[in-house]
Amino acid sequence: MSTTTPTVAVTTPPAVRPGLGGVVRWETRKLRHQKRAWAVLLGALLGPVPVVMVIGAQSRPPKDSLFGRFATENGFALALLVLGFASQWVLPLLTAIVAGDIFASEDQHGTWKTVLTRSTGRGLLFWAKTLVAGAFAVLVLVVLAASTIAAALLIVGHQPVIGLSGQTVPSASALALVSASWATVLAPTLGFTALAILLSVWSRNPAVGIAAPVVVAMVMQLVGSLGGIEGLRPFLLTTSFESWHGLLTAPRFTGPLVEGVVVCGVWVVVSLTVAYVLLRRRDITGG
Amino acid sequence: MLAVEATDVSKTFGTVRAVDDITVRVAQGEVYGVLGPNGAGKTTFLRMLFGLIRPDHGTIRVFGRTWEHDDVAVLDGVAGFIESPKFYPYLTGRQNLEGLVLLDGGVRPGLLEEVIELVDLGDRVDLEVGGYSYGMRQRLGVAASLLREPRLLVLDEPANGLDPAGIRDMRALVKRLAASGLTVLLSSHHMDEVEEICDNVTIMTRGRVAFHGSITDLRAMAPAPGYDLRTDADDRALLVAADHPRVQVDLRDDLGLVVTATETDAAAYVADLCARGIALRALVPTRTPLEALFFMLTDEPETDDRAHPDGGAAGRPAGATTGAR
Repeated sequence: MSTTTPTVAVTTPPAVRPGLGGVVRWETRKLRHQKRAWAVLLGALLGPVPVVMVIGAQSRPPKDSLFGRFATENGFALALLVLGFASQWVLPLLTAIVAGDIFASEDQHGTWKTVLTRSTGRGLLFWAKTLVAGAFAVLVLVVLAASTIAAALLIVGHQPVIGLSGQTVPSASALALVSASWATVLAPTLGFTALAILLSVWSRNPAVGIAAPVVVAMVMQLVGSLGGIEGLRPFLLTTSFESWHGLLTAPRFTGPLVEGVVVCGVWVVVSLTVAYVLLRRRDITGG
Repeated sequence: MLAVEATDVSKTFGTVRAVDDITVRVAQGEVYGVLGPNGAGKTTFLRMLFGLIRPDHGTIRVFGRTWEHDDVAVLDGVAGFIESPKFYPYLTGRQNLEGLVLLDGGVRPGLLEEVIELVDLGDRVDLEVGGYSYGMRQRLGVAASLLREPRLLVLDEPANGLDPAGIRDMRALVKRLAASGLTVLLSSHHMDEVEEICDNVTIMTRGRVAFHGSITDLRAMAPAPGYDLRTDADDRALLVAADHPRVQVDLRDDLGLVVTATETDAAAYVADLCARGIALRALVPTRTPLEALFFMLTDEPETDDRAHPDGGAAGRPAGATTGAR
């Protein structure tokens, strides 16, 4: 039934396979050419300056917020106030702008069929994109933290700060503690990065991938503030954003920090596993 | 070893059976056409070949490899594009190609420039793809495929959306590539394209194979060509046809006559009309025999400009598709 011309006994030579490094380079190169990635980095770099200037110039400090009472007269307190604010939705948004788009944009541009007809499998592409999104989240957090702390100290000053237990923290150790506090939000930030990746893979829609993590963050905060569901609070990603509080008490306590890292780790593993399975199994029909 | 060996392949989306138990075999070195109207299942079949979607049933071997056992190694020596090639609009053509090189694990030195020159993109390769015309994207798609130095090139409707000059250039390019010994698997819904380029063809309709064989076999099955005929006395011309048993003439309302006959018989009939004092106002070929056969095999309604009252070969038995599944 089949019509065939005489066959030639030729075997396909083994092809060169790209390593993870090559695919990561490709994803990084794409990211470097995206204006929104640069906008996020610029926002993280420059955004804290006017925020610090405005808060620092207030005649009435925001006493209702953690460290708000001293924010107008102490740079360390102001940097921690900004950290609390950034944790609410800014960090989920900044990381989601890349992580929520990195898979869905392939659907948007119809390029899955372009990249998946090369020598790179879905698994390699998944991990390369995930690594790039994660690295970008780390970079954004570092830039935002460095910019906020530097702006706060330069504009408001670096006097000793009053801790959460009322203790005085000398300037030298305050800088280390404030930096460490910013570092502790890395785990939940990566948790939201993984969540954004999942939403990006699942929805195939960049708008959903970017906006949904922010909405989820807000819902988690709302749920976390409700009474009667205390048992649920430790499992929320947003709870981990507050685990730095223990670093500013005397004596310090790190239980919530460890708990937060574990919870975020679980969120990351579950989100990435589901995203990986979805991507491996899906039929690429668009584009 | 066959370049492509798809056996009893099926794929269903929801309630739609996009590909229904098809078998296709493509030998190395041949130019093979998959022909069918839109929605026939051609693209679904090619997507399965590339591993973009999984068949529900059946096996697809590419140079003896299967997705189940070899994963992405199936695509070693294989390149092409599905429907219109897509690229990252914020990157230049060259940057897109360089990125694809990374996904291929590298190419030999100089190949990138060679393929850019081959597809004649010139300086425009350094412009952002977002500003490319459809034809330029098609050519960039061919360049991206050739970067893999494939032994099997799969092109899904490569001339789709191109202007006449673009179609001519694309066909010439495919012919050049085929002449170099490359195996080419080409899908199209244009019979003339497949007829011009391919050695063998599978015609699909509604997910099934309606014909599978050589272009020569297909030509042998084809009905006579059709012509639109206008005279100053259509009624008399219709009567004259009675003296030409191998010529079928039908009156099509006010649109004149439709003649179905071989070129020789049609010429004899027209000469007879002139000899009997009937003036010809127009004699226009309406479709090639293979086009008529294509419509017959795929049960596609012919468009108005190709309409023919009885389809030329409407009486041809379904057994005409012998050898197909």
